[in-house]
Amino acid sequence: MKASGERDGQRKLAALAELARGSARSPTSEELDGGLRAVRARIDAGTARRRAVVGWSLAAGVAMVAVVAVGIIRSGRVGNHGTSPAIAYRVEGGSLVDGGYLRESGHDGVKLLFAEGTEFALMPGTRSRLRTVDAAGARIAIEHGKASFKVTPSTDHRWQVDVGPFLVTVTGTVFTVAWDATTEKFELNLRHGRVTVSGPMTGGEIALRAGQRLTVDLPEGETVINEAKPEPPTEEPPAERPSGALDRSATRTPAPAPRAGAADGDRRWAQALAAGHLDGIIAEAERAGLKTTLEKASSEDLLALADAARYRRRMDLARDALLAERRRFPDSPHALDAAFLLGRVEEATDGGLARAVEWYDAYLTRAPKGTYASEALGRKMTLTSKLEGSSRARPVAEEYLRRFPNGTYAGPARAFVRSP
Amino acid sequence: MPVSLVVVPDPRVRSDDELARALQAGVEWAVAETWQRFAPGVTVFARRALGSEAEAEDIAQEVFYRVFTRSKTLRAPEKLRSFIFSFAIRVVRTELRRKKARAWLSFHRPESLVDLGAGLTDMESRDLLRRFYALLDRLAPRPRLVFVLRQLESMTVEEVAAQMELSISTVKRALSHATTKLSRWIEADPGLAGFFNEKGWR
Repeated sequence: MKASGERDGQRKLAALAELARGSARSPTSEELDGGLRAVRARIDAGTARRRAVVGWSLAAGVAMVAVVAVGIIRSGRVGNHGTSPAIAYRVEGGSLVDGGYLRESGHDGVKLLFAEGTEFALMPGTRSRLRTVDAAGARIAIEHGKASFKVTPSTDHRWQVDVGPFLVTVTGTVFTVAWDATTEKFELNLRHGRVTVSGPMTGGEIALRAGQRLTVDLPEGETVINEAKPEPPTEEPPAERPSGALDRSATRTPAPAPRAGAADGDRRWAQALAAGHLDGIIAEAERAGLKTTLEKASSEDLLALADAARYRRRMDLARDALLAERRRFPDSPHALDAAFLLGRVEEATDGGLARAVEWYDAYLTRAPKGTYASEALGRKMTLTSKLEGSSRARPVAEEYLRRFPNGTYAGPARAFVRSP
Repeated sequence: MPVSLVVVPDPRVRSDDELARALQAGVEWAVAETWQRFAPGVTVFARRALGSEAEAEDIAQEVFYRVFTRSKTLRAPEKLRSFIFSFAIRVVRTELRRKKARAWLSFHRPESLVDLGAGLTDMESRDLLRRFYALLDRLAPRPRLVFVLRQLESMTVEEVAAQMELSISTVKRALSHATTKLSRWIEADPGLAGFFNEKGWR
């Protein structure tokens, strides 16, 4: 048995190695040019790179407020957002050390204060790393611990937070995140605004709205969205919602939508979904009979069932629910949402990439300015590249940049446009 | 007055040997050509070894800074490629040791900030990569490097031994150690098992 287990482990190891081998791309010509310039500059300056291996620990007791002026983080990890200067920021309660790590100098945590008003507050003991700062915003990684973020609403800036294996993308919001690297538990409490979260067990990207709490327990394989008590929306998020959202709350009214053809009264699966009762929704649908449910459930409940199935990776059930939504309620706004979500379902299905592109096209044709237009076009670009090569993805990338120059996929789109 | 047309050979067609001699002589084009010829390979190696594109950029710059400032120490011009990759291996090994030291000092297991595979479309693959590099982080720098060179860079055991200046038996032991450990950790990780099932890798 043990030998068999080891053989399985070796097969999986070989598969992982193959994935890693294929995922390391060659640098672009632009990256190479930039690298050569940097090396030449170092040679000209005659400065050897200083690397503090353990030296930073000697200074651990030194309290300081590090004021970091525009733009330059050591190690060249500063993003290059055109020629615009990076956002100015300063570090309080600690300092920026080699590799972009934020070293706490006292016991009160570390604060990053950006000139345009955005604040990152890292709780005591949190291990984090400032990865990039440029004119468009910043990206920070929380390796372990807890942090709160107050992001000034702006359509010009984009902020990203790597929290363990999760990526949180925001444009204007107030929230806290926590990641315990030991127990592999993730938690995000959203007070104001909207964020999208992607990572393991999220089944793609999940959009959260004010007052929601997302918890993911990786060892248990459990994803729960709780409806916490929302705070008054004193700080409105920007007009541009984060792309990639699966949250349809922005297009729904707060009250339950009219239940066209609702089955046996109030199932209230939308509320159950918000409370994180994914398995309960699926179990109830199965008890009632899936065929019956798909024929009789309300539009809202079908979408809630599709979401629950997606989060639990029951893609066949998610697909059936979304197709039922489109068939039974063809004129409802949810039918359009369902087209986009069908694309996400097909992406997660073996051999479904081409069908996913068709669904994204269907969505973009019917809703060129729809909630998910940016995400649908970005996904189409990515999938086109995968299916037909980067040259075929280039026109899609150009269209994306024309329509969503600051969108989530703007970076990859520029890479496609630049590629030979 | 007779006119002669002197055609300067394209640097790209120069042999590694010629390139090395030009580099040692301080010929202007040699720096750019060395960079263009070898930086992609060094960068990809660093990306695979560390799992991070951002860190790999640093590594590549550090490697070539050393190569260019110490090119006169190259005794065998025909071994320019090997000379460069020996620097690359040393710099990556130093980086891995630095991470281990930092993790030890901060009482946490080292974790890579994996941004490799940012272009991957599915979350499962990206997460698998993160988990894979989290497992690599648990290895000591030497077995990790041996594993990376053998399994990700597809070097032979003899090539790994030569590049790392180790005996062949030491490389084999390190490789066996890394493979056994990683295989066991993979089998013991229920989260990974779920992702393998998702991708049909059984």
